[in-house]
Amino acid sequence: MTDIDPREAASTLSEIDSIARRVRQSRIYHLCGLIMIWWGALVFAGNIATYLWPRSGGSIWLLVYAAGIAGSFAISAIGYSRNRVRTFNFRMLAAFLLFIAFGIFTVSWLGHFTPRQMGTFWPIYFMLVYTIVGLWVGYAFVAIGLGITALTLIGYFYTGDWFLPWMAVVNGGGLILGGLWMRRS
Amino acid sequence: MAELDDIIHQPLRLRIMAALNALPTASGLDFSRLKKLTGATDGNLGAHIETLAKAGYVAVDKAFVGKKPQTTVTATAAGRGAFARHVAYLREIIEAAGGQP
Repeated sequence: MTDIDPREAASTLSEIDSIARRVRQSRIYHLCGLIMIWWGALVFAGNIATYLWPRSGGSIWLLVYAAGIAGSFAISAIGYSRNRVRTFNFRMLAAFLLFIAFGIFTVSWLGHFTPRQMGTFWPIYFMLVYTIVGLWVGYAFVAIGLGITALTLIGYFYTGDWFLPWMAVVNGGGLILGGLWMRRS
Repeated sequence: MAELDDIIHQPLRLRIMAALNALPTASGLDFSRLKKLTGATDGNLGAHIETLAKAGYVAVDKAFVGKKPQTTVTATAAGRGAFARHVAYLREIIEAAGGQP
């Protein structure tokens, strides 16, 4: 039988806490990764569809957001029933709706944004929250948030008529790759 | 007073049990994720999982996902109980020393 001293006991408990924290974070990353892949696919499709049918842009993005929220809820509910990991609840939905309402208020009443400015504002606005949340949840979110923000701004200033396809690849593709990366980490 | 569990006390087995114990009951981790979380090599991890399985602390489920073999390791009720007692023992040691390591 082994005897251990208080210092070793404390160090062992600390290691147990550290592993448990990593497991919890890994499960959150796994589920959030799936939600990100879903949003990435939608954003990719939304940008390409807006590029092809610019006059239907409003309806297209309304559909993208509705499908995004519904899908996030469904993935979250499945994740909770399987693993007891909660990533989305009614408080978060309320926060999300307030967030969207403020965005609409900003682009529609405070300013009169051009389609290109709208296409830049929304991803950056989303990624700002993503980055802030990442400071608590995990630095992968911060890296993805800042990376997509930088690429979005590059697109806004330098891509000319190719802005929407650029955004499909950078924003949609970035979310998909970020989601895959999170599911592997 | 709780007792030290010599099987769980080994560092890698402790990490394996800590990781599995952080999951909801009946949920498991696949071999590759467990390897990543514990920082172990394939052979080492396999040997220690076998020791834990022989003690009845973990259940090992081997299945095919598509064409790929996948090994899932889950803590059993006995394993969770033993782990809880081991953690209680560690806490008692610290408390006996006046809360100071």
